[in-house]
Parts: sequence; C-alpha cells; structure tokens
Amino acid sequence: MSQNNPSQLLPSELIDRCIGSKIWVIMKGDKELVGTLCGFDVYVNMVLEDVTEYEYTAEGRRITKLDQILLNGNNIAILVPGGSPPDV
Amino acid sequence: MSTGGADKPGSGGAGGAVKTPSDFLKSIRGRPVVVKLNSGVDYRGILACLDGYMNIAMEQTEEYVNGQLKNKYGDAFIRGNNVLYISTTKRTLSDGA
Repeated sequence: MSQNNPSQLLPSELIDRCIGSKIWVIMKGDKELVGTLCGFDVYVNMVLEDVTEYEYTAEGRRITKLDQILLNGNNIAILVPGGSPPDV
Repeated sequence: MSTGGADKPGSGGAGGAVKTPSDFLKSIRGRPVVVKLNSGVDYRGILACLDGYMNIAMEQTEEYVNGQLKNKYGDAFIRGNNVLYISTTKRTLSDGA
C-alpha cells in the first residue's frame, strides 16, 4: 500500500532509504553529526560510519572524527538525507 | 508501532551492508571504545559488556573532560540514559574557528 504511493511514505521508511548514504543529524543542543548511515532501530538509535561531529561551544566549533558509532536516539532532533556539511 | 522494519535483516535499501544498533552492540564487546555522555565527558577504555539500554561496563577507563585526561578507573559502570554515543576508537581531535 504505502510502498506504491510516494506521498504515503512513513518517516521510518524515509530513513530506511538513507541506509548506505550520507546523513546529517541535528541534535537537541548545539551538536550536529554527518556520517554514513548503517542502520537504525525503532527508537531511531543509529549506527553511523565515518562520522564528523560538530559541537558549537562558547570557544568556537569543535570537530571530532569518529570511525563508527552507535548514536543514542534520545537527543536526535532532525535528520537530513544527503548529509550536507554544516560549513556556514 | 510499525516502523521501517530496520531490525529485520535484509530490509535495508543498501543491499546487505545494513548494521543495526543491535548488530553494533554485538560486534563491539571487548573492543576499545570511546563513550561520550550527554554532559560532554568522554570515557575511553575496553568495553567489558553492555545491554540494550546502553548500560555499559568498561575496563581501564580514562575520563576526559574537554579533551583532557581527568581520571582513571579500573572498572566503571555507566548507566545507559547518560550515553550520547558509543564509538569504536581511532579518532582525531581538532579545535577550530
């Protein structure tokens, strides 16, 4: 049913289509991550690969590179498929 | 709740390379990891065991606050609700602009 009509795509199906490609994760608070999505579960905990973490602090932007992570879904606010880098 | 079924093997769009959170948890036991908490504090050490709540037991744990080593613990238990992410190690830090 929902498979055939693109306007009836569940949010989780949209995320499922991002598996294997870059995704941009905007967290609650001043944190963003960009990485390749490997998988996720019903809580939208996510496994990400080749991750760049951006933390916005009073001292400026801190960048951390990470190999492979399991990201807790609890603080995820927005997911952007394609993984546009936050280079503003 | 019916979500995308990402827990089922082979349901992903990328043709077999899917690694769900439970797969990840299974694969990292005994490996060196970095655990970052919501507070921003990092714990590096050997992952002894963990569960689906992301409760974690670590060995040879080093506590990093703002990238600086603050403490060492032989054994440490981290309650899962505090965990932001669990990462396999190999990482570089760079402070910028």
